[in-house]
Amino acid sequence: MTNELTALTTIFTEFYYWMTVVLMFLIHVGFCMYEVGASRYKHHQHTLMKNTMLIPLVTITWFFFGWWIYWAFPTGPGIAPSIMTESTGLVLGGGFGANELANATNALMAVNLNDHIMGVFWAAFLLFSWTAASIVSGAVIERITTFAFGILAIAIGSVFWTIDAAWGWHFDGWMLKILGYHDAYASGVIHAVCGGFALGILAVLGPRIGKFTSSGEPRNIGPRNPWLVCIGLFLIYTGFWGFYAACNIPIFDLGPEYGMEGVTFFTATNIYVTPTTLSGITMNFLLSLAGGLLAGYWVSKGDPFWTYSGGLAGIIAASAGNDLYHPMQSLIIAGVGTTIAYKLHYWVERTFKIDDAVGAVAVHGYAGVVGLVICGFVLWGYPSSGYSVGSMWVGTDYAPINPLGMIIGAIIMFGVLGFLPGWILAKILHGMGKLRIPREVELAGLDYNIMEQAQKDERAVASSNR
Amino acid sequence: MATVTNWIDHLSASEVAGQVYPMVGSEMWWVLAGIIFLLAWIVSTANGEAEEQEKLARKRHGSNDYKKNIAEW
Repeated sequence: MTNELTALTTIFTEFYYWMTVVLMFLIHVGFCMYEVGASRYKHHQHTLMKNTMLIPLVTITWFFFGWWIYWAFPTGPGIAPSIMTESTGLVLGGGFGANELANATNALMAVNLNDHIMGVFWAAFLLFSWTAASIVSGAVIERITTFAFGILAIAIGSVFWTIDAAWGWHFDGWMLKILGYHDAYASGVIHAVCGGFALGILAVLGPRIGKFTSSGEPRNIGPRNPWLVCIGLFLIYTGFWGFYAACNIPIFDLGPEYGMEGVTFFTATNIYVTPTTLSGITMNFLLSLAGGLLAGYWVSKGDPFWTYSGGLAGIIAASAGNDLYHPMQSLIIAGVGTTIAYKLHYWVERTFKIDDAVGAVAVHGYAGVVGLVICGFVLWGYPSSGYSVGSMWVGTDYAPINPLGMIIGAIIMFGVLGFLPGWILAKILHGMGKLRIPREVELAGLDYNIMEQAQKDERAVASSNR
Repeated sequence: MATVTNWIDHLSASEVAGQVYPMVGSEMWWVLAGIIFLLAWIVSTANGEAEEQEKLARKRHGSNDYKKNIAEW
């Protein structure tokens, strides 16, 4: 960097993404607290370790191949041509190709004096990956093996969510071109896919012992420590500020980017490189939080667990279009999404005997799907990209946002890349006898040996006089 | 071993080399070492977990037995 203004813009962008990473770290702190608060005493430490160990597992595999998948798969491959390479094959070159940017042995994937962005951009996406795996973690507590969860965390955190991000959360993604898919703050690409993935696992894993009566009526296994759950969810809200900011590009001159001669228009953009403002999305974020909290309180009759979860579900439901919505639209969409997610949670629980310990499938999956569908109607006709405007199914240019495209997009996110892989992988792990902990261990408690040893240590220390 | 031995020479070159970490060019071997480390960790911890749970399962504790182990320190 030899020009002062270029240097300032670059370092600002570097610091911007770095700050989002720091903020998003709080999402994981929140998930750990939330999950431990929701689990029972005899499972606490294993529950915490299960969620903590996804950090190294997803980080390493994200370095090896997750980031590469994001840059390689926007075309499908084989579904719609890239605007960079004009081919439907894997995007490996052409300026933003996977082998140029994200190969684990590449020059940019390390300290590089000529690049200030790749590391922080990689890290911002990595924090999304942790969130993806962490969403699944809560649903399966107290009965999954740490080994099985590790494999599933790698699958959702470094493979399936990154494929859906390449398809529907990338300026060159085929879902934008063919379907007019729009999901600015990841209602689908993070939340719906992870909710679906968790549901697929739960269908194979089965409920916790005692969750259902012999006649199939569900019993409530409430959070053991509601205060920890409360702080955890507040931390997740806090981390979501970073999540929203990380979904934006902070400064971009769209004039030359869109090929408009003589036009200069500096703005923040979303991940699709269409304009929005950090200021505007801040309003929408807060109004969708408010809508979710109000609806959660109302529909659960003041239950704290569901009120807090409602705040999160509200943000998730409005996220797909929060780059363009009016704040009141965000509020109402959040309220609708939260109400539907809550109702669906109990309907699915009773009908299919699904034990989602923290309501993750509802808060992330159902709210995400509802948000995508509503976005298709409210933003009907908006361009899904600034690069060109076309029609559905063609694929060589970009279809406008529309309800059918968003419904198909929601099915792809929740079902094709979420539920199906989760179910198949869980079936394989179940077949190997590695998915679920032994019944005797579940009854005794995963922490039994640790607690027994702590008791022995305590007695020894208490009876010691030197 | 050192990729840079003089910062003034390095930064005043007509084209500044970006990669400054040690042993530039050996990235593939480092990545392979990382993959082996990860796989070994997964196998080792999976075996350890299975063994520990088998032992605990054999003791057949009741669902409230853990309460007698709550330490108060």
